[in-house]
Amino acid sequence: MSVFDILITYHIAFLQGLVVTLQLCGIVWSLGITGGIALGIVSAQHPKSWGRVTQGVSFGFSAIPALVILFWLHYPAQAMFDVVIDPFYTASLTLCLVNLFAVGEVVRQSISDFPAQYITAARVCGMNTRQIVRYIQLPLLFRQLLPTIMILQVGILHMSLFASLISVEEIFRVAQRINSIIYRPIEIYTALALFFLAVCLPINMLAAWLKNRYTRNLSER
Amino acid sequence: MLSARNLSFAYENGKTIFTDVSLDITPGEITVLIGPSGTGKTTLLRALALLDAPQAGTMSIDGTDFRFPVPPEGNPPPPYPKLTTVFQQLFLWPHLTLRENILLPVRLSGQEDGPETLEPLIRAFDMGEFIDRFPNEASLGQRQRAALARSLMLRPRYLLLDEITSALDVEQIAKILSHLKTLRGQDIGIFIITHLLGFARHTADQVLFMADGQIAERGGPEILKNPQTERLYQFLSVIAAAS
Repeated sequence: MSVFDILITYHIAFLQGLVVTLQLCGIVWSLGITGGIALGIVSAQHPKSWGRVTQGVSFGFSAIPALVILFWLHYPAQAMFDVVIDPFYTASLTLCLVNLFAVGEVVRQSISDFPAQYITAARVCGMNTRQIVRYIQLPLLFRQLLPTIMILQVGILHMSLFASLISVEEIFRVAQRINSIIYRPIEIYTALALFFLAVCLPINMLAAWLKNRYTRNLSER
Repeated sequence: MLSARNLSFAYENGKTIFTDVSLDITPGEITVLIGPSGTGKTTLLRALALLDAPQAGTMSIDGTDFRFPVPPEGNPPPPYPKLTTVFQQLFLWPHLTLRENILLPVRLSGQEDGPETLEPLIRAFDMGEFIDRFPNEASLGQRQRAALARSLMLRPRYLLLDEITSALDVEQIAKILSHLKTLRGQDIGIFIITHLLGFARHTADQVLFMADGQIAERGGPEILKNPQTERLYQFLSVIAAAS
């Protein structure tokens, strides 16, 4: 059975797994990015309160593997509070939190480190705050942040595989189940690798292209 | 007129930069500030540009008063770009070409003739060859000309310039300084920090010598020939010896 045959035979199962993976990533990407940007802006505006919290939690999340957080929220936390939550939502919550604080910290840092001299130059040129944000800060921050945030999202897609370990029927778990039936690991995991390649490679290439185009070396001679 | 009275500035750590500085910048006149490095010239310029608030003193710009320390009710908003500045570090926006750097504030200020008005300035400052480059693709001298053009396009009444010719060759310096002289005729008050004593001698209406955080001597350009204070005499002697 070739990779192609396996994909044809089990296409419904693969598609269902793919839909779950994309649903999971869709939730985590949209909430993580929008919430993270909002959190980053608030944290930069209130560095001593929100800023410290974001920085601290982000450090914490970067130190604790996402899998540990996922397991903790799935087993001990639910046992402690005597609740049973659908694993899909537990996985969504875990990855959302990781993404939210990762994006939030990147945005916070970029805003905090924004060179004040560009704002000063804009002020003495008569620009008001709204114009400074629109024409100076946003374009520069967008150029700086977009590739970084995109690469973070590829990382989130990779992390979504952990959801399989708490029984979320995403694509990796589907692949494992099919493998347990027909035992063709080379073909199945090659198909899975091709899927991730097809999704992640364009994102990575786009991020690299944007980085190359927009974050060219701006340092002056 | 831009008048500053008894301005004093100290950093938060208590280090005093200048004390009791008073000066006037009159439209149609060129005021040159000279002095050794580290005496607070740039800090004074930033205070005059209302970017950094002094601890004491008052300023008046065409009848609008600014008090320091800033009173609880606040000071009026700074009159940018009627009052504008070209910094020594230039601060051009890196995501815009030099042309866009010049035209963006002009467009936002509501002037519609920006591109047409820029053309004579491009010729006057020899910018045709590099005007569409990004700041990081231009030399320091080219960026200095673009930064000056950005300010001039805003038709300011008071123009504060901090060492804007430091990276230019002699020919370019001559062009820029000659252009500054023409601005005097357009009723623009120019305040310039420079080490070009020749420019001060031939062009300034008022020369201020700053040393040790104070205006140690002031007067017409003749003070550069006949200094009245020992400190200015020493400064001029060092420069003469170095050149």
